[in-house]
Amino acid sequence: MHIVVCIKYIPDPEAAFSMFRIDEQANKVVPASGLKHVVSPFDEQAIEAALRIREQHAGARITVVTLGNELSRNALKHGLAMGADDGVLLDDRALDDGDSYATALTLSAVVKKLGNVDLVLTGRQAADGDAGIVGAGIAELLGIPVVAFAKDVAVAANAVRVERVLDDGTEIVETALPAVVTISNELGTPRAPSLRETMRAARKPVVVWNTRDLGLEVSTVGAAGSRTVRERLFAPIKNSRCEMIEAVTPEEQGAKLAQRLREAKVL
Amino acid sequence: MPRGEIEGDWVMGWPDRKRAVLNPGKDAQGRVINGRAPITELEGLLTPTDAYYVVNQLEVPEPIHPDDWILSIGGLVERPIEISLKDLQKFPGRTVRAVTECAGNDAGFFDYLQKGGKKPSRINQQDMQARAAMRETNAVPSSVEISNESTTTCAMSAGEFTGVPLAEVLKKVGIKNNAVSVRFQGFDRGQPDLAVQYRSVGRADFKLVDPGVINYEKGMPMAKAMHPDTLLAWSMNGEWLTHIHGAPVRMVTPGWSGNWWVKWLEQIEVLDHLPQCYYQHHYFTYGNAPDDPNKEMITSMGVRCIILNPLDEDSPLQRGPHKIQGRAWSGMGMIKRVEVSVDGGKIWQDAHLEEPVERWLWVRWSLLWEVDMPGSYQILARATDETGRVQPQIPWNYQRKHFDGIVPTDVVVV
Repeated sequence: MHIVVCIKYIPDPEAAFSMFRIDEQANKVVPASGLKHVVSPFDEQAIEAALRIREQHAGARITVVTLGNELSRNALKHGLAMGADDGVLLDDRALDDGDSYATALTLSAVVKKLGNVDLVLTGRQAADGDAGIVGAGIAELLGIPVVAFAKDVAVAANAVRVERVLDDGTEIVETALPAVVTISNELGTPRAPSLRETMRAARKPVVVWNTRDLGLEVSTVGAAGSRTVRERLFAPIKNSRCEMIEAVTPEEQGAKLAQRLREAKVL
Repeated sequence: MPRGEIEGDWVMGWPDRKRAVLNPGKDAQGRVINGRAPITELEGLLTPTDAYYVVNQLEVPEPIHPDDWILSIGGLVERPIEISLKDLQKFPGRTVRAVTECAGNDAGFFDYLQKGGKKPSRINQQDMQARAAMRETNAVPSSVEISNESTTTCAMSAGEFTGVPLAEVLKKVGIKNNAVSVRFQGFDRGQPDLAVQYRSVGRADFKLVDPGVINYEKGMPMAKAMHPDTLLAWSMNGEWLTHIHGAPVRMVTPGWSGNWWVKWLEQIEVLDHLPQCYYQHHYFTYGNAPDDPNKEMITSMGVRCIILNPLDEDSPLQRGPHKIQGRAWSGMGMIKRVEVSVDGGKIWQDAHLEEPVERWLWVRWSLLWEVDMPGSYQILARATDETGRVQPQIPWNYQRKHFDGIVPTDVVVV
């Protein structure tokens, strides 16, 4: 069995808002220099899901794939240290600034090039852009099923059985392989890389591919191949007004507060 | 539960051990405002700067460029001066390696040894982020909330500090004969965090003195101020002092608890009396109750010895040889002896003191324990310093300052 896990290296989503600025000219979010980058937490859980499947299927191979510059090699190293077998780094300036479609197109080309992939796992969304489209896009472009928001994934008899998260509970879905499954945070805490596995990871193979390696036209990927147009990127201005409720007793204060909230149609 | 497998990480591109990191609390802008050292994960004598504990009584001030920093020295001196960092560095320097320990470190063990109950863990379990959030909103926890928190441990570290002896600077400006104390003032300013003080006592059902907005300050008796190891320091662990640790210049006061190591220095004043600084007379004190009229300011630490291996969390242990080891230090000089008991204090054996044994630094000590019999064991360790003080020295006090009791490690051997 061959499992491909698509991961993204992003600015630490735990970082304070003040660590980012918005470049309205370029329509880009610019993180402060030196800001720590991490594997998107949902993607880390996708790696964990793959490792749990491999624990039930000895001999399964896990390939981690990331799209980014040389810095993104760190994401692969993290995945390999968690236990993945090999990595693919997509390093090509032509791939920069792609939207969800262009990213899905590139990643689906990777899956085709790898060949004989049984299962593609992604996080439910990247924790920077939060679009949550790429996983479904890969499936669409490959013409295979997708199951989103998985909290548990098991593979048996050429099918994948997924417990997926709904607004009001969970449902269990089964589909034939190959398929794409997007992993939700309900899967649980991913394992921490051990020193032994990290050392082993240093010797695991990582290939670097560019657009030509994937057989894609430059005009179809990255910013050039994107199908969405970002009209404007800006930080919303928050207006807040504080109104002190004055009263002699706490009871009177509470009553006045309730009345004020009703007037404001909050209650 | 035995300790887990060694965690890995990438350090400078190479596979490596995961480095021990501070357990921090951050403000809304992601800046560290408090933190606890990963004491059980560190080897060696010096705590890496990034893992050094952080405690601040007031708000962390905005940084001052080292070229713009001026220290004013006045009061009962012949020649008051305002001195820049560059000029301060022209004095003959001195390097001191010393333990820094928060006065309230391990406070919860006072209660454990007196009343029993749940033993505090030295594995860092404090939610420093929750404390930082509470501080940002000036929230005060209730007594119930305080009792449910993990008590402060790991507010201790050791570093190498380079600067100039305060005594050299004071000699240069000329101290007048009637000088009694030296007041140090930092440029950190704010209203004392009442939550910290309630947490220190372990309850919040009494009224605290609120001095309003103040600068952090302490008034040090002349003898300690003139000790050659009392420094105005600009360097820590081989590099420039970092802002969170008091840059451009902080006090280094070996042997005395962290509240004396005034950070972000801006003013030194020689006085003919001991000043009534808020923190000196209302918080960092020994006393029996909040209304005790005879509170006494705290100065040097007691005699300390902690066991870092095995921990309670390592239990059960397998039969065979085990290295019992830990750190020992004292507020009044070099450690001369560490004794270990594995039977709850009936028989004591001398542990090996690993070189170097320095005056202000903690010492690593160890004892090889061959254990063949399964059962429950209580491991104790106690230290003696060069002045002959044997642990424990500091009695219970209502703010639980300067704990130096003997804390058992309880393990089962199978």
